[in-house]
Amino acid sequence: MTRLVLALMVVCVIGAVILAGTDRITQGPIAEQKRREIVRSLDSVLPPHSNAPDQDTRVIRPEGGKEMTLYLARRDGAWVGTAMVVTAPDGYSGNIDVMVGIDRAGAIAGVAILAHAETPGLGDKIITDPRWLPALRGRTLDNTHWAVKKDGGDVDQFTGATITPRAVTGAVRRALEICREYCG
Amino acid sequence: MQPETTTPPRPAHMGDVAVLPPGALPEARPATSARELAADFTRGIWRENAVFKQMLGLCPSLAVTTSAVNGMAMGLATLVVVAMSNASVSAVRNLIPGSVRIPAFVVIIATFVTVVDLTMNAFAHELHKTLGLFIPLIVVNCIVLGRADAFACKRPLPRAVCDGLGAGTGFTLALVVLGSVRELVGFGTVFGVSVFGAAYPPFLLFILPPGAFIVMGLMLAGVNRLQSRMGG
Repeated sequence: MTRLVLALMVVCVIGAVILAGTDRITQGPIAEQKRREIVRSLDSVLPPHSNAPDQDTRVIRPEGGKEMTLYLARRDGAWVGTAMVVTAPDGYSGNIDVMVGIDRAGAIAGVAILAHAETPGLGDKIITDPRWLPALRGRTLDNTHWAVKKDGGDVDQFTGATITPRAVTGAVRRALEICREYCG
Repeated sequence: MQPETTTPPRPAHMGDVAVLPPGALPEARPATSARELAADFTRGIWRENAVFKQMLGLCPSLAVTTSAVNGMAMGLATLVVVAMSNASVSAVRNLIPGSVRIPAFVVIIATFVTVVDLTMNAFAHELHKTLGLFIPLIVVNCIVLGRADAFACKRPLPRAVCDGLGAGTGFTLALVVLGSVRELVGFGTVFGVSVFGAAYPPFLLFILPPGAFIVMGLMLAGVNRLQSRMGG
């Protein structure tokens, strides 16, 4: 009996030591990779800026929602735009994390998809189609009816894939609404 | 099916392995020859290929083979895990009492899977994002526990390592072949290199889950046919 417990304990302790060592080694690079990913996305959705938006943040708590981080872009000290990450809970297969950049006038400066699990070749056209995301640029809450065309709105959908664009469109609209309230 | 030699009595503490896949050979002679090592390595590649012959590890085989790169990454991750776990299990085989060997093996396997998971996350971040959930799930891949319990826990270290490398290589090859076929038919590319030209219309069925089953079924049919031609 003691031998069984001892054997298992030794195996677990050795496993724990190995894991602790691996964690120590990989912790830094993993954090760095995540940061680089955020910075890359921020650069792609925000207007040209001279600061580091990932370090110039503000935490807000929209009504009835979770805490959100606003990333502020400044050029020579002057505020030029805001980015935030919104989650579309109604994708075809799970959540879609969308980063939305909005300029001072409240227009979309850029949109990037951070994480999704949409169907390859159908829903993932939001990324693979080079025209879809850029077509959102310049749109505001006032000049656009934020729904896909099938629902009577202004945003294109894809043949055979309406759910994904609809989910992203909804998330972007929410970002604009939050921005109207909290940006500036 | 097994052309094995003698059947010495099993160590008393080892449990019955009858439910485990082929390769559960009885204890062999202690001396390890280069020929034995080569046989241990090649066995897992074709004769006892985990996917095509033993039908093990089918969940990752079907799920991640949407492209050749994904298949290869998943295969290599599994190869590293099965080789390292085989080595560790063989090294501690005389210290672990038989009645707790399975929990001990699972801890060993889970340790190496986590090591691979963290390492990939740190140094192959994009690939790690694509394979996502399936890397941690190597823990429950029956190939790994199968090799540990059926082979490594009664063999000397070098043979266990060769067996693990062989099983891992066989698994990797199967996944690369599956991924290549699906990517070729689905997108007209292999490893991202265009084969049928840019005008090739995507054939999505082969990228979607049904395509995995279709390709898998056709390959199994092909393998069986080949095997019956070669006479077993």
